[in-house]
Amino acid sequence: MIRNLLVSTLLIFIIAAGCKEVSSFQEPLDLSQIAYHPNPVPIKVPKGFPQLPLVNKNPQTEEGIALGRKLFHDPILSADSTMSCASCHFAHLAMTDGKALSKGIDQKEGLRSAMSLVNVAFYNEGFFWDGRVKSLEEQALLPVEDSIELHNSWDQLVDKLRTHPEYPVYFRKAFGIDSVAQIDKYMAANAMAQFEKTLISANSRYDQIERGEEEYTPDEKAGYEIFFDDSKELPDGECGHCHNVPLMTTNEFLNNGITYAEKASDFPDLGRGGFTGSQFDNGKFRVPSLRNIALTAPYMHDGRFKTLEEVVDHYASGGHYSPSVSPLIKPLNLDETQKRQLIAFLNTLTDLKFVQETQQSEVY
Amino acid sequence: MRKLLLLLLLAPLFIASSCDKDPEIEVVGNVEINFKANYDGELFMTQNEYDYTSEMKVKFTELNLFVSNISLLEFENSSEETELAEVDFVDLSFNIDQETEAAAGYDISTKKVPAGTYRALKIGFGLPADLNRTNPGDYGDGNALATSTHYWAAADSYIFSKIEGFSDNNGNGIFEAGENEGLRFHLGQDEVYTERILFPSEPIVVTEDGTVNLSLDIDVKKLFGISDITYDANQDGLLDFENYSSSHGDTDEPGFLVDRTVMGNYSNATKLNQ
Repeated sequence: MIRNLLVSTLLIFIIAAGCKEVSSFQEPLDLSQIAYHPNPVPIKVPKGFPQLPLVNKNPQTEEGIALGRKLFHDPILSADSTMSCASCHFAHLAMTDGKALSKGIDQKEGLRSAMSLVNVAFYNEGFFWDGRVKSLEEQALLPVEDSIELHNSWDQLVDKLRTHPEYPVYFRKAFGIDSVAQIDKYMAANAMAQFEKTLISANSRYDQIERGEEEYTPDEKAGYEIFFDDSKELPDGECGHCHNVPLMTTNEFLNNGITYAEKASDFPDLGRGGFTGSQFDNGKFRVPSLRNIALTAPYMHDGRFKTLEEVVDHYASGGHYSPSVSPLIKPLNLDETQKRQLIAFLNTLTDLKFVQETQQSEVY
Repeated sequence: MRKLLLLLLLAPLFIASSCDKDPEIEVVGNVEINFKANYDGELFMTQNEYDYTSEMKVKFTELNLFVSNISLLEFENSSEETELAEVDFVDLSFNIDQETEAAAGYDISTKKVPAGTYRALKIGFGLPADLNRTNPGDYGDGNALATSTHYWAAADSYIFSKIEGFSDNNGNGIFEAGENEGLRFHLGQDEVYTERILFPSEPIVVTEDGTVNLSLDIDVKKLFGISDITYDANQDGLLDFENYSSSHGDTDEPGFLVDRTVMGNYSNATKLNQ
């Protein structure tokens, strides 16, 4: 009798639970009773940094950033729930992954190295190595469906987010949605973009020296002067043309002479030209920021250089011929001491406070 | 009664002041300035090969400049200037696949220019000291001066003009950066800012709601004209690219003459047409 009663009770529970589940799929969960009071969190622009666009269609809020941070680190983003954005963007590697070419969930290697996300709020000339998307919000949409990255579909991911025990509340608080049915990929991408815009690095030793809080060592100083052509006695490293302050990039797309190509069509990776369709852009890639460069090895779009020494040797050599190589590439006549000094300066661009703070805010 | 008296006293004042505020209806028109580049009379396009000397070909990859303090003058030495634009960035780096764009050039449009007859156009090549004291961080996105590609931090100066390309020094038909054939003229600093007053063949007449079209044609080859034998070993009146292929020396360095000369040449290399 007791056994029958137990079975009956359990059956009722199962049916009830089942009914509830069916109901949650059929009728969008009402979120309107949850408080929606987004707290604006304007991006703090470091002194000397470029101003941000005046019109921001995706205003930063505490709740949006929290949602974006959670999504960024959540393997729910990938088809098999094994990888997230954070799988290729680690704080201790200045938001890169330390690999020449990143691998996605199917263990397929991508064509290019994972770019650092440091200071992306200030990029204004397109994202990815070839600049194929204009905004961070658009950028955040793409890796999810890239077949050699997270290899998911947004439809599938949005379904998971809608039925997730936590995400609907996060979306409500961030965007004021009334029902889970309103959750879409654009909200998710906007939230991730909001989080990524908080990844601001402006407290390296270089910054501290610029603010008068620290002083260069003699080698660092010499390296600075070579980098920015600020000395009559030292050779011009020509670095500052493309890696200009304060971001240590001009956000341009240039060919830095790393690949020999007799014709414009000979580049194994067309880079910018693959997007614009212009032969004159073949072999050009985004000039990456050198902030935290000591943490982001290996270098170049394909990770061909393992160390900064190899990078400096490349530039000092004058690079390789190709039709689109920048006229700024030329033999530099740097001796070994000057190369070492240049690297000493590059090491001042490491911002350990940024690394520590970003690590502390990582969500697993 | 006292209130009524006060009201009667104040009423004329109100009426008078409101009459003062009647906006004077200004008669205005529009001025469009079109910038184009040519190379010795031929349409200028980047990636195109041009004869520099009889033995040397050149190919450019970038040409742009800041222009500033553009205004109309009613007569030659008039201190009264009608400002058309404080500053703009003129990029003429259209390549040979963009012939239509190169032919169209770059436009600066100014509306609500007081109607009248003007005798001259004043233009600054580069940035005057007050603007050059600022830096890209002072400006919002979209402002011409917000660009970090044209700011040289070590000199606390904007790069007023960038001219990049190659000269085929060894005549082998290949433009090789690694062989020191790159041309890198990044011209800036207060000392090289130049202003010029250009006179059209006919007066510039701005009429009510009309549009005046002015054209400024820059001859790129003329930018490299130089008379100093130190920099013109061939004595052909042109900068010797084999030995002077870049700029941005300190102002007290002898090489700074190249910066001063090339930037200064914008004045004479620019022709005003109507």
